[in-house]
Amino acid sequence: MSSDINVTVASFIDRLKRRQISGSYNIAMETLQILKRFVSAARWSHVNDLIDQLRELGNRLERAQPTEFICGNIIRRVLAIIRDEVEEELASTMAQTTTEPMISSMFNLLQKPAVPLQKSLDQPKTDIRQVIIQGIKDLIDEIANIDDGIQQIAIDLIHDREILLTPTPDSKTVLKFLIKARERNNRNFTVLVTEGFPNNTSVAHEFAKKLSEHGIETTIIPDTAVFALMGRVGKVILGAKTVFTNGGTISSTAGVSSVCESAREFKTPVFAVAGLYKLSPLYPFDIERFVEVGGSHRVLPTMENDRVGSYNRLDTVNPVADYVPPENIDIYITNIGGFAPSFIYRVVWDNYKQEDVNLEGVQQ
Amino acid sequence: MPPRKGKVANKSANGGKGNEAVQDERLQAIVMTDSFQTRFMPLTSVMPRCLLPLANVPLIEYTLEFLAKAGASEVYLVCASHADQVNEYLENSKWNLPWSPFKVSTIMSLESRSVGDAMRDIDNRGIITGDFILVSGDLVTNMEFDKALEFHRKKKAEDKDHIVTMCLSKATQFFRTRSHEPAAFILDKSNDKCLYYQDIPFASSKKKSSVAIDPELLEDVDEFVIRNDLIDCHVDICSPHVPPIFQENFDYQFLRRDFVKGVLSSDLLKKSIYAYITDDYAARAESWQTYDAISQDFIARWCYPLVLNSNLLEDQTYSYESQHIYKERDVVLAQSCKIGKHTAIGSGSKIGEGTFIENSVIGKNCQIGENIIIKNSYIWDDSVILDNSMIEHSIVASGVKIGRNVTLEDGCVIGFNVTVDDGKTIPNGTRISELPVQKMPSPFLDDGSYTDEEDISDREQKHLIEPATDLVGEGGTGYIYESDYSDIDDEDSILDRVTNTLTYRIENLYFSDDSTSSASTKHRKRRTMSTTSMTTDREAEDGLEEEDEDFEKEAIATVERAMENNHDLDTALLELNTLRMSMNVTYHEVRSATVAALLRRVYHFIATQTLGPKDAVAKVFGQWGMLFKRQAFDADEFVDLMDLILEKVSKQNFEKPEFILFSALNCLYDRDILDEDVIYQWWDGVSQDPELEKVKTLTAKWVEWLKNADEESEEEESDESESDEN
Repeated sequence: MSSDINVTVASFIDRLKRRQISGSYNIAMETLQILKRFVSAARWSHVNDLIDQLRELGNRLERAQPTEFICGNIIRRVLAIIRDEVEEELASTMAQTTTEPMISSMFNLLQKPAVPLQKSLDQPKTDIRQVIIQGIKDLIDEIANIDDGIQQIAIDLIHDREILLTPTPDSKTVLKFLIKARERNNRNFTVLVTEGFPNNTSVAHEFAKKLSEHGIETTIIPDTAVFALMGRVGKVILGAKTVFTNGGTISSTAGVSSVCESAREFKTPVFAVAGLYKLSPLYPFDIERFVEVGGSHRVLPTMENDRVGSYNRLDTVNPVADYVPPENIDIYITNIGGFAPSFIYRVVWDNYKQEDVNLEGVQQ
Repeated sequence: MPPRKGKVANKSANGGKGNEAVQDERLQAIVMTDSFQTRFMPLTSVMPRCLLPLANVPLIEYTLEFLAKAGASEVYLVCASHADQVNEYLENSKWNLPWSPFKVSTIMSLESRSVGDAMRDIDNRGIITGDFILVSGDLVTNMEFDKALEFHRKKKAEDKDHIVTMCLSKATQFFRTRSHEPAAFILDKSNDKCLYYQDIPFASSKKKSSVAIDPELLEDVDEFVIRNDLIDCHVDICSPHVPPIFQENFDYQFLRRDFVKGVLSSDLLKKSIYAYITDDYAARAESWQTYDAISQDFIARWCYPLVLNSNLLEDQTYSYESQHIYKERDVVLAQSCKIGKHTAIGSGSKIGEGTFIENSVIGKNCQIGENIIIKNSYIWDDSVILDNSMIEHSIVASGVKIGRNVTLEDGCVIGFNVTVDDGKTIPNGTRISELPVQKMPSPFLDDGSYTDEEDISDREQKHLIEPATDLVGEGGTGYIYESDYSDIDDEDSILDRVTNTLTYRIENLYFSDDSTSSASTKHRKRRTMSTTSMTTDREAEDGLEEEDEDFEKEAIATVERAMENNHDLDTALLELNTLRMSMNVTYHEVRSATVAALLRRVYHFIATQTLGPKDAVAKVFGQWGMLFKRQAFDADEFVDLMDLILEKVSKQNFEKPEFILFSALNCLYDRDILDEDVIYQWWDGVSQDPELEKVKTLTAKWVEWLKNADEESEEEESDESESDEN
């Protein structure tokens, strides 16, 4: 492996650690670029070598920022592409070699040797590199155009004179989706935006301004007013940061969970918009570990607490993300269609391979 | 992204080309790894301050992380004490890898005794090419440096005399990470230009302070603010003009007290300094007190995104759990142990049954036994704590063994590799080190690495340190470390006791935080006074004493140099005078030093048998006695001079002190430096110390003779030939 790619990877990891790169989209794109370079620079004797290298890289990226799932998702997607390719290759060579007997006996079926397959795989490996890189390019295209796909599906979901509430003002997908709905259908609807104190307040203000610039009636409400207003809200739209196999989601703003909880109370439908690349094959066993906790200084201005002389019994916790359980979400709108949370696992396994869920350690 | 740029520059620098095109983008950083203080003794006798772990990460990492984020492309670490350790650490760290965001190199500035010295050294080396960041190696901050830099560039475009931007963060007066050098900043309200800087006493000190501002400074200023609510973490963006200013003003030692104040109040320089005020977290671990506070803040995620679970070191695997608990992999927790809030536990550590830990940091590979209570404490790597012990608000350094049923009371510092035997109780605020730490009135830096052998032997005669067996027990190893001033004062020990009982905090640990630059050549009285903590008055006295001694050493060296190199008299005098002024001492000290130097010279001649006693005295005093002419001006001063000669002669261990004294005085008399009246006056008032009797024998005769001669000459003015014969 050339040192150049090592430098790129290491500095990307450093930036992840320092939170100098943010936003799922940016991270996804950057990861893909690195993967492209990585694959083209990598040397391997067998595809499995490459898979191992990629898994190792994925593990490093995941460890750099355990609450940023996008890197892991992307790498797993690429791994899935490779594995699919390998399988296809296998199938085709099998088709060639195993033309003779169709099915003779059970015994034959079991003793089908793996040895000749290995051999046949060795030959087309230059080809595989091209295929992988093409796969990565496709992935880049897919992610770049994700908003279009979502908009196509979502536009019909918004009705005239409807009141929408969005608790995730930092989601670009939600923003574009609302603006498109307004422009394309020329519908009149009202959007309530939660303030997102303390981490997202300024983002919420930006978001609301942009919406109002596009002629959408927008209201900023404090996070505390959600329950009171929920009765009048027609739909809750939220942007997902990560969607787990169980259909639960990690949102990029704290407070989403309570919004969804109150929406459930009022039987208000909750729509979550998410690009396909946000689906993660992980299962949220330990929610605590998946929710990033941010800086305390946002909650309480740092320099204003006089704590000299006595012990600090004052604690501040500032989670920057929130976990929404699947039962509080009605539908996920992805670029390939809308799915119920209970169906998400199917979509996940269409795109990922089971053996790549855990990137740690060398696979058998 | 800023680090990107850094990388580009880095590459070009590695290639040896030094791409000039990116010069504007390049940001250099100077890190003062040495604190030039002794606050972290005794631990800093073994390890430099910047490598002490704060929340299991060496302090320097925080600073480097900040610089990486700030987009520095070249980082220079100025090392003085334990420079080899700093260097070695860096070589093996991630910052030395090819993908490090900046190029890091160490500058060995072993002689530096203050920030001023280090800056002069930097100037001599000529490494500064553009604007640079000046920080200390113990900074913990999540400051958004981009904004500060932008501010700096904007101000620089507006004001071409702009040389320094100080980055300050807001805090209330009693904020716990507040700097130990409180100061008032006088700022122009409209543009944050710093008009004046004044260091002020501590909030806890009884001294009242005032700020005197030259009205001229406030001319052309519409509105100004005086602010005492700023934490000054010494993060400065400096222009390349700064090191030369230190060079020109060779007596500048401190960045703020000397440099900032000097620049602002100087009519000649016409440079301006701006203050950038931020709300972000910024603090320096400059004492145990701030160490404690910053650890707690860091654990409680006050300087997010700089948090423990971002795993600053490559081999760390911290993950975060609610209530601000951080655990690395391979931590073994017994079922019944309780881990309370604000706790970090390093990998490989084992916590036994029934143990309770809260508000604490446990290092790697620690063995914590059963039923132990650890609260508000910092246990560093590889320590062993046996069952039923209790540790409250203490620091336990690496490799320590603590026996069963041991109690560490509030504010103990247990140094590296100390062993404490079973059942011992270490009282409040005790500091124990593995080896005796040499104490000197003018401690060198944070450590003892440059200790002058003679110096120690001199001092240690008074203070023979014995192992503190009553504290650490029979099976224990450890020496008690007392801060330099613990045995001097009455008033302050009361103050200490008051603070000890009032606040159960580590702040009580630090009493001696005198500045080491008192050991340096140029020194001002006010300096030592104001770096001291709440115990200002006491240390002021010490400061004076120290100063005198330093001056004496320095002055003796000057005179000796002059004699050896045969300088002319004027040069020697000029040097002495400069020294005198810069240290603010009286002529008495100058005379004392000169006498000592001359007598040493004489002694040297006699001892090496180059010259006989008489010739030696005649030669030395004959040639250099004239110095006194410009060091003493009236009769009293001459009397003082003679007292000094008497005193020094008796101290110098001459074989025949009486003869030396007599010849020296006679020689001075012959050269018209001493006149008869003065001699009589001195003789009348001379000390009657029996020890000096022997020394005075010859002189007595001489004075007698002088008197006679005088009388005679009064009677007969022409009778000089007779006296000559005598």
